[in-house]
Amino acid sequence: MKNSVLITLLILFVACQSLIAVQKVHLWHTMEPNKRPLLAEVVDQFMQDNPDIEVILLSKNVEELRTGYQAAAAFTGGGPELVYGPMDQIGPFEVMKLKNSDKSIIMPLEEVFPEEFFEKFTPNGLIRYKGHLYMIADRIGNHLALPYNKRLFDEEGIPGPPQTIEELIEYGQKLTKDTDGDGNIDQWGLVWNYTEPFWYIPFFGGYGGKVFDENGKPELGSQAAADAFRLIKDMRDEYKIMPPECDYDIADNMFNQGNAGMIINGDWSWQKYMNSPEVDFGLAKMPYVQAAGHWCSPMVSATGYSINSNTKPEVMEATKKLLAWLTGEEVQKRFASEFKSIPSIKTLYNDPEFTNDPIVKTSAAQIEAGQLMPIVPEMRAAWDAMRPALQSVVGGNMTPEEAAAYQQKLCVQKINDMYEVAGEGSGSSITKYIIYIVGIALGLYLTYLLIFKFILALLRNPYTMDSRNARFAILISIPAAIVMFGVVVYPFFYNIVLSFSNMNMTNVNSWEVIGVEQYGKVLWDFDMSFADYRSSLGDNSGVVIFDYLKYFFSHHKFITVFIKTLIWTIVNVFFHVTLGVMLAMLMNRKLPGKSIFRVLLILPWAVPQYIVALTWRGMFISDTGAINLILGHLGIAPVSWLSEPTMAFMAAIITNIWLGFPFMMVIALGGLQSIPKELYEAAEIDGASSWKQFWNVTVPLLKPVMVPAITLGTVWTFNNLNVLWLVTNGGQPADHSHILVTYVYRAAFNLYRYGYAAAFSVLIFIFLAIFGLTFMNRSQVAEKA
Amino acid sequence: MNKFKKTMTAIIVYAIVLLFVVIAVYPVMRILTISLRPGDNLLNRSLAIIPQDATFDNYVRLFTEKPFLLWIRNSLMISITVTVIGVAFASLAGYAFSRYRFPGRKAGLLSLLITQMFPATMLLLPLFIMLSKLNLINSFLGLIIMYSATALPFSIWLMKGYYDTIPFSLEESAMVDGAGRFYSFWKIIMPLAAPALVITALFSFMAAWNEYIVAAQVLWYEEMFTIPLGLKSLQGNMTTEWGMYAAGSLLISIPVVALFLFLSRWLVSGLTLGSVKG
Repeated sequence: MKNSVLITLLILFVACQSLIAVQKVHLWHTMEPNKRPLLAEVVDQFMQDNPDIEVILLSKNVEELRTGYQAAAAFTGGGPELVYGPMDQIGPFEVMKLKNSDKSIIMPLEEVFPEEFFEKFTPNGLIRYKGHLYMIADRIGNHLALPYNKRLFDEEGIPGPPQTIEELIEYGQKLTKDTDGDGNIDQWGLVWNYTEPFWYIPFFGGYGGKVFDENGKPELGSQAAADAFRLIKDMRDEYKIMPPECDYDIADNMFNQGNAGMIINGDWSWQKYMNSPEVDFGLAKMPYVQAAGHWCSPMVSATGYSINSNTKPEVMEATKKLLAWLTGEEVQKRFASEFKSIPSIKTLYNDPEFTNDPIVKTSAAQIEAGQLMPIVPEMRAAWDAMRPALQSVVGGNMTPEEAAAYQQKLCVQKINDMYEVAGEGSGSSITKYIIYIVGIALGLYLTYLLIFKFILALLRNPYTMDSRNARFAILISIPAAIVMFGVVVYPFFYNIVLSFSNMNMTNVNSWEVIGVEQYGKVLWDFDMSFADYRSSLGDNSGVVIFDYLKYFFSHHKFITVFIKTLIWTIVNVFFHVTLGVMLAMLMNRKLPGKSIFRVLLILPWAVPQYIVALTWRGMFISDTGAINLILGHLGIAPVSWLSEPTMAFMAAIITNIWLGFPFMMVIALGGLQSIPKELYEAAEIDGASSWKQFWNVTVPLLKPVMVPAITLGTVWTFNNLNVLWLVTNGGQPADHSHILVTYVYRAAFNLYRYGYAAAFSVLIFIFLAIFGLTFMNRSQVAEKA
Repeated sequence: MNKFKKTMTAIIVYAIVLLFVVIAVYPVMRILTISLRPGDNLLNRSLAIIPQDATFDNYVRLFTEKPFLLWIRNSLMISITVTVIGVAFASLAGYAFSRYRFPGRKAGLLSLLITQMFPATMLLLPLFIMLSKLNLINSFLGLIIMYSATALPFSIWLMKGYYDTIPFSLEESAMVDGAGRFYSFWKIIMPLAAPALVITALFSFMAAWNEYIVAAQVLWYEEMFTIPLGLKSLQGNMTTEWGMYAAGSLLISIPVVALFLFLSRWLVSGLTLGSVKG
């Protein structure tokens, strides 16, 4: 008996020992779904060889990994030990500093590994930035090239892939055709994601363009930029070798189904095409631009591993071991042979298995012609500037030259926004103190309210009935109050403080309160100057004051987005309520099968928003989406829902109306059922028409039920980020489809303008609070009286 | 003549209702279609609901290749706890707001509405900082607190609105008979408020069941994922396993739709929003 206890204790002891000995290494990575099984396999192998190390994998997409890692590492001093992702994330990671330190959130690797460790890697596999080595790549590439379908090429008798732009167009025209004779083109020459700047860069480079000059200043307004825009537009509109609307999924799907001759797509996608039964895969280098004398040059980047600066010393060895394994020869070879990726280990370049593989050969040649992805954080601004310009050209709203000038201007402006230096004026220290004083005064006032109006009020006459009732009421609302205030209060005040601060990506741990400058930026910010606007009017300019008004409402950033938000909210809520009430009235009649209909009509409410939003986006795609197909059957011309600003906005509104009407219907139905039938009977006897009955009986009695629902619905719609974001894919086209909340989201999480975004949010909040309270008060005065 | 008019009205009513039923159901059917297609065939000119080469492959893969059952378990655990907390706290607080006048009552009711007005995305970062300070990263508890807080304002409002429709004389007569405050609430009012309780439960459940933005920040282990997070993990940067995604989407909607179906009897009567002043 005693023995068994001893043994149990011993086992427990040993178990504890081994538990302590196991070191956990977290790895966050951005690998595509098709690469994840192999990663899991090599990690398993690593854990078998190192039983004392446990590796925990977490996959995220690039954006989520970047923001998630920054939140964890910079704001809380934690996060995973290893991060894996594209090399351009090094820029934003380097800028962000740890708490109370000038160290970046990722570690310079030369400090933790011996010199010899780096020798086996090719130079472009070692990612340096500002003099430090921050990342070891496990593969070079992530570059676009030109996969083509040999089967379709053979059918048209085309000898091989195009070498020049002229051949690309010629072959493209041969491959574009209507195979089943129904008047619709169902095989395209070339498909690609031509509204994303990543796909525009190769042509830009082909005409000799560079994103940044030698001094790191953006150079997006060049002739090359305009020429590349023109080529893209002409390929679609003039030579008609590409579908009228095309995003990544459409292009990928068409090529994979054998419905397109060529696709411009990256090395991550090739394996899928090789396995597709519809595709006889061939890979070609992107063509030569004779007019400029360059090859098209896609961005080449590396993806690799970095170490978190917060890594605890006791897991450092394990982390290094894992990094060494994952970037080592054995693992790289397996990835390279399965996915045809280009490794970063020197010796593998002599391996005949790779050197003789035609796909690897072409891929390497394409890398040779490519340009290295700039690591600087400014690149984010460049992408964000090119996107709207490209989409404006494609949507026909700008000429190539206008777009080139526009993207240059936008890029400069966005870089300034990112590095905005705020709060260095002489007045700012005074405003700063004023803010402190106001803050303290407010705090004192709240304390006063709490003590005198709340606690003392409760203690006064403690034995009266009223007082007992009040204590009981407070007692039973305390649990809810604790949960809500516990969660809401800190974030709320954090944001208010932030809105008076200069926080941006360079000072996440050293920001200070500077005053009302961020509010000033929100309230007085135009996307062009008045002088520019007037000169753009040319002969049409009139009286200064009218011009100024026009300018104010079309170029003031906050106002223009605000107007869109109002339209968004009003249209949505209007249809929610009218459709809801109409259907409720129909449902309130005698209608066989009513209960089934009711459940079916509630369906949009029951399905998760983010899922249906994506489904609706799929249905709006102009070429294969259900909406245009149905319109086609009804004899209506197809609408390009997603590439025209107004249409994209409308698509999002339609989706949101669909999502929201069931809620209002149910509320209205509840209200209708509580209206006594006698009232209608009495009205009928008085000879009131149904229309009169509706206005004089239904509406007034429905009002008290609907007003709170409408208030709440308005607030929810106003602040609904999900639907618009998902349907328009983050404000596309050209950042035209924004409402205030999506705009804030972009400012905060894409450009790291935390202070600005917080000020923006506070203003949204104030507006909604004023609206909500007035609306409720006004509509309830009558009811109470 | 009158009869003809009646038939015509009936036909028109049916036509309108059917039209909206089709509009309501069709997008959901598209998800079904995509989930039944082989591979990741998201885009297809075909309008057929059941594709010709329909297969349950995606569903099978979801259960065999992914820890889908585990995700369901996690989501159920979180959502059910949130539901219990939501119903318990909201039914109490709603009752207080409906029946009693006490200091802080108006401020409380207003702040319920006001919490809905601040753009939620901006609260994400401070919430994350707060959770990590409280050591609630990678714990269901953090999520449960968070979701309860999101579900509560609406739930309290809803409960208050419903209590308002129950005459006060019921409790008064009970109290005259010597019943205490809590007793009369528990034994007399709660049973009458059943429809609203059911709806509160439904809302709390949905708030937790569908959320993924906070969950994505807080959960770092795949075996802790909730269903929405698991579904999200099927999406890569460029490539998404659409077939499995659609299959998963349908499966996660089923419990909620079933709840709606089951509760539709109470849904209409229970959903009575209260007013701030009232």
